[in-house]
Amino acid sequence: MSRAMRGAGPLRLVAHLGVWVYVLLLLVPLYYLAISSVKSNTAILDSPFNPFRGLQFDNFARAWEGGSLGRGLINQAYITVAANILTLALAVPAAFALARTRGRVGRIIERIFALGFLVPGFAALVPTVLLAIRLDLFHTREFLILLLPASALPLSVVLLTQAMRTVPAELEESAIIDGAGPLRVLVSVYAPLTLPTLTVVLILNFLSFWNEYFFALVIAGPDPAVRTAQVALPLLSMANAAQYGVLAAGIVITLVPVYLVYVLFADKMEGAVFSGALKG
Amino acid sequence: MRRRRELALLGFTLPALGWFLVFTVGPLVSLFYYSMTAWRGLIAPRTFVGGDNFRRLAEDPVFHHAIRNSLLQLVITLPIVIVGAFMIAYYLSLRPRGHRIVRAVLFTPVLLSAPALGMVFLGVFAPSGLVNGFLDGLGRSAQARPWLAEGTTAGIAILVVIVWSSMSVSAAMLASRMNAVPDELFEAAELDGCGHWRQLWQIAWPICREFVGVVTMLQFLWTLFSSAAVVLLLTRGGPGTSTVNLSFLVYDYAFNQSKVGYSQAIAVLLFGVGVLGLLGIRRLFRADF
Repeated sequence: MSRAMRGAGPLRLVAHLGVWVYVLLLLVPLYYLAISSVKSNTAILDSPFNPFRGLQFDNFARAWEGGSLGRGLINQAYITVAANILTLALAVPAAFALARTRGRVGRIIERIFALGFLVPGFAALVPTVLLAIRLDLFHTREFLILLLPASALPLSVVLLTQAMRTVPAELEESAIIDGAGPLRVLVSVYAPLTLPTLTVVLILNFLSFWNEYFFALVIAGPDPAVRTAQVALPLLSMANAAQYGVLAAGIVITLVPVYLVYVLFADKMEGAVFSGALKG
Repeated sequence: MRRRRELALLGFTLPALGWFLVFTVGPLVSLFYYSMTAWRGLIAPRTFVGGDNFRRLAEDPVFHHAIRNSLLQLVITLPIVIVGAFMIAYYLSLRPRGHRIVRAVLFTPVLLSAPALGMVFLGVFAPSGLVNGFLDGLGRSAQARPWLAEGTTAGIAILVVIVWSSMSVSAAMLASRMNAVPDELFEAAELDGCGHWRQLWQIAWPICREFVGVVTMLQFLWTLFSSAAVVLLLTRGGPGTSTVNLSFLVYDYAFNQSKVGYSQAIAVLLFGVGVLGLLGIRRLFRADF
C-alpha cells in the first residue's frame, strides 16, 4: 500500500489524535448509559464514571414494569414485521416491472420513486393523522403498518430495480419458453438472484421502522395497549424524574434487538447505509 | 404485442404507486389546503380563511425565534458535519492502524432511535449528569450548570446532539464512496509531491463532489426535520421559547396548543425551505468540469 499514513509529521499526529478523540466522544455517552443502567442512583451521582460502584440490577425490572416495555416491544415488533412484509409485497413486483421495461412510462415511474426518496414525510404529520381519523384507524397499530411502507417504498423500489437489472435476460427467456408466467419468473428467477439486495432492503427498513418515533407518537399514541417501546421510553423519564438508572435500563432494553441485528449483519448493514445514500 | 407486454408489466407497479399516492402525496397536497384554515383541534370543524395564517405568522415572535434557530442549526452544523465527515472518510481510506475499530464505532449512533438519543443526552446534560460529573472530577465544579435550563447552553446542547448523532453516518457513507476511487489517482499525485492535505482537497473532494452533494442533502433534511425530536425530548422548546425550531413548532402548535390550521402554515413554509435548500445544495455541488 503506497498510500499508507507514513512518518510522524505534525499534521499526521493531529489527524490521528483528532479521529481518536472523536471516537472517544462517540463512545463516552454510550459508556455512561451502559454503566448507569446497572448502578444505584446515588452511585450515578457520586461516582459517575466508575463501573463497579453501587452495582444493582433491579433497574431493568423497574423499567420493564414501569414502562410496560414488554408490551411496547411486542407492539413495536408487530408493526415492524408487518410493515416490512407489506413493503416487500409492494416493492418487489414494482421493481421487477421497472427492471424489465424499456419504455418511457417506466422511466418516468422510476424517476417518481427516485424523487420520492427526498420527500420529507414529517411535513405531512397532521394531514397523515387526519387520514388515520378518516379511515377510522386513529390510535391503532394497523395504520402505522399501512403508513410506514409508503415512506420506505421509494428507496426500496430504486435499490431492487437496480439489482434486478443485473439478472441476465437469457434466464428469463428460458423460463418463459418453459411456459412460466410473469409471477413464476419473478418468484423462481428474480427473487433468488437478488437475495443480497433484498436483505439490504429488509435491514434498512427494519432499522427505520423499529426506530420510528413521531408517527408512532401521534398515531398509535401513548395508550399502553398500542404504544411502541419508543413512545414509552420518554414517558419513563417523566415518571422517574430523578432516577437515571431506571431510564438508562429502559434505553438499553430497547437497543438490544437493534444491536443484535447489527452484530448479525454488520457487513451487510454498512453496505445498506452506503447504498441508501448512493442511490438518492 | 411488445407494447401490450410492457403495459401488463407496468401493472405490477400500480400497487406501489397507489400506496405512494395515498400515504405520501395525498397528505402532502392537502397540507396546502389545511394551511389556509382556522382549525383548533383535530376533530373540531375547519373554516377557510385564505392567507390569514400566513399574515399572523409575520407577527408571531415565537415563529421568528423558530426561523432563527432552524437557520442557525443548519448554518452551524452542516459545514462542521460535512467537512468533518469528509476528513474522517479520507483518513479511513488510508487504512491506518485501527481503522476497522473506527468504522465499527461510526455505526453506533445510526442504531439509536430518536427517543434513545434524546434520553442518552438527557443524562449527559442533566444537572447531576455526565458533563457536570466530569467537571466535578476535574475540580471545576464552579463551571457546572443546568445545561438544558439556560437558553444559550440549551441551544448549544442541541447543536452538539445534532453533530454527534449525524457526523458519523455521513463519514461512513463518504468512506465507502472514497473506497471506490482508484488508488492510482492518489499515487500519481504523491509522486508529484502532493501531501495528504492537498490530496484531500484537490483530488478526493472534486472526485467525490457529487456524492458529497447527496450526503449534504440527506444531512440537510435530517437537520431541518428530524431535529424536532431532539428539541421535543431535550428541552420541549424551552426554557421559554428559546430553543424552538420550525419542525418542533409544527408539532407543538398542532398537538399541544390547539392551533392546527396555523401549524400547517408553518409546515408549508418548512416544506418550502426544504425544497429550496435541496435545489440550492444540488446547484452548489453540481459537477462543474
